[in-house]
Amino acid sequence: MSTRVSFVMGVSSLLQRRCLWSSQWRVRNYSVRSAPLPPDLPLLAETARISLTPKEVEEFTPKIQQVINWFGQLQAVDLQSIEPALRADTEGDNLRNDVPETFENREAMLSAVPSFEEPYIKVPKVLNKE
Amino acid sequence: MLSSVQNPRLFFVRCRFQFHLPSKSRHFHGSVAVRTSETVMEPQTHASSTTPPSSEILTIRKSLLSHQKKAVDIAEEYLNRLRQTEPQIQSFLHVSENALRDAQAIDQKIERNEELGPLAGVLVGVKDNICTVDMPSTGGSRILEDYRPAFDATAVKKLRECGAIIVGKTNLDEFGMGSTTESSGFQVTANPWDVSRVPGGSSGGSAAAVSARQCVVSLGSDTGGSVRQPASFCGVVGMKPTYGRVSRFGLMAYASSLDVIGCFGSSVVDTAILLHAISGHDILDATSSKRVVPDFSSQLTSMELFESKPLRGLRVGVIRETLGDGVDMGVISSIKAAASHLEELGSTVIEVSLPSFSLGLPAYYILASSESSSNLSRYDGVRYGNQVASDELNSLYGDSRANGFGPEVKMRILMGTYALSAGYYDAYYKRAQQVRTLVQKSFKTALDENDILISPAAPSVAYKIGEKKNDPLAMYAGDIMTVNVNLAGLPALVLPCGFVEGGVAGLPVGLQMIGAAFDEEKLLKVGHIFEQTLQGCRFLPPLVADSLS
Repeated sequence: MSTRVSFVMGVSSLLQRRCLWSSQWRVRNYSVRSAPLPPDLPLLAETARISLTPKEVEEFTPKIQQVINWFGQLQAVDLQSIEPALRADTEGDNLRNDVPETFENREAMLSAVPSFEEPYIKVPKVLNKE
Repeated sequence: MLSSVQNPRLFFVRCRFQFHLPSKSRHFHGSVAVRTSETVMEPQTHASSTTPPSSEILTIRKSLLSHQKKAVDIAEEYLNRLRQTEPQIQSFLHVSENALRDAQAIDQKIERNEELGPLAGVLVGVKDNICTVDMPSTGGSRILEDYRPAFDATAVKKLRECGAIIVGKTNLDEFGMGSTTESSGFQVTANPWDVSRVPGGSSGGSAAAVSARQCVVSLGSDTGGSVRQPASFCGVVGMKPTYGRVSRFGLMAYASSLDVIGCFGSSVVDTAILLHAISGHDILDATSSKRVVPDFSSQLTSMELFESKPLRGLRVGVIRETLGDGVDMGVISSIKAAASHLEELGSTVIEVSLPSFSLGLPAYYILASSESSSNLSRYDGVRYGNQVASDELNSLYGDSRANGFGPEVKMRILMGTYALSAGYYDAYYKRAQQVRTLVQKSFKTALDENDILISPAAPSVAYKIGEKKNDPLAMYAGDIMTVNVNLAGLPALVLPCGFVEGGVAGLPVGLQMIGAAFDEEKLLKVGHIFEQTLQGCRFLPPLVADSLS
């Protein structure tokens, strides 16, 4: 008798759990299988070519983490079969002809270059990373 | 002038044109319960006159053509007011040395009976992320301190062709990233209504300059609300055109799929004239539209010519999600009153829901920071801008950028770099673009059933300088009313519609009107009628009222 009861209870609790699951379908995780790693600030700074001080790393990390966690709420949205929109542009081909045009004010452009040695824009050497 | 002791509901009634509580078949029920702590009030104006604003541009034109005034005199008037108020407001990063010379050239043209452009003699402020060949253009950033572009932005070129006098470059949050001008690399602009408060951002300088009548009109840029929110905070008219209406050539790019150049004015007519002057296709901007630009201001008639129900047949939708939690009571009351005013003018007002509304904010910040991380990679100290010398190229990049960029810009670049990192594109950027599709679709549905949608331009009035500086999410939350419009690329007009208690004479509240793509004409027409029939409100900060009298 007790086995039967427990069997029935087992099935009904399974059904209950099933119902719970189906009523929670909206909270499913639609993200990619591997969750993004938390932001590695020194690595990001190197990628973005910004030299961060240790103080900045310390200061920025929690703020950036907070914002990225907030970005994560998009993971909970069902976006299956929604096309990504590049921009609001509704017009078609709007390109001009691929014909070069001379820019007249070359001197002004060149005078803005910080390190210029006619005709070169000077930069320091590029070192290979080890 | 009513004192604050009186019943706030009574106050409220006085400020509206033939206000009565909505009745019978109206769908929209503007419940106007106003808490005494955030009273909607009449401003303490220096004169009892509360006549609607007239067009400064047309007034100037009339004075010049009738020889009543010289362009030099008008320019001097504005420049004096600019100099007088600048120590308190700090809206300009650079004031032109050529304003009077430009005005003289206009006077000479008048003497020779030559034709005058539509903006002849009109002083215009230009946000400093828009390139001007004869003035520094810093983008509000130290990395471009003293940089002088070799070209004018197309919008600036058009202004000059219309005879405008570019009076100076206005302050902004660095590269457009911010909502208060506190992220400017140079100075913080103060709100002319209360100098302890922010003017909004990122086009805070442009908004404050018009509000304080330091110039007639100004240009700003709007990526996530940067024209509309400061217009609301400063009590001026702000127009965000449809994406593609105005060329972006010469606008320092922040987020290329979202950026537009926008206009500020002290009246809808002035804003319309300015918008017309700068709009149009440009071969130098492949995203600019080839659509014909209507003459926006020609349909804006004088009030005497209005019918009794000038907005009859107009379908207005109030966005439900913008009048709930997180929005100040005073703002909600002002918007509901504005909705009633629109009803009085003959329109039908209903409530609409935009289902994906709240998702727009994180989607916007993902897209904007990602695109900015790419757009700002050009600031490397090599071809222009300030360089920090180094023995090695990567350090030259790293140190120049570290030295030149402020903290907000650095953080957004890093966030964008993260979101675009290999393997994370699907999780963030792509999903944000999909949300953009949802937002576009829900606006399209709402705008098929309504002519315009309305909402506040911001969830609050201007807050104190320093209040949100250290809390990025709190600051971002203030953009909730505006970002979805950028995601959809739609036009939107903000005009002052009321006040909330605070400061010396109250703090302005802006009503945002959103239209279908390229429907600026309708927005401006409705906005003009609304503005001209709004009684009891004068949007002139006391600071300026004093200097004008």
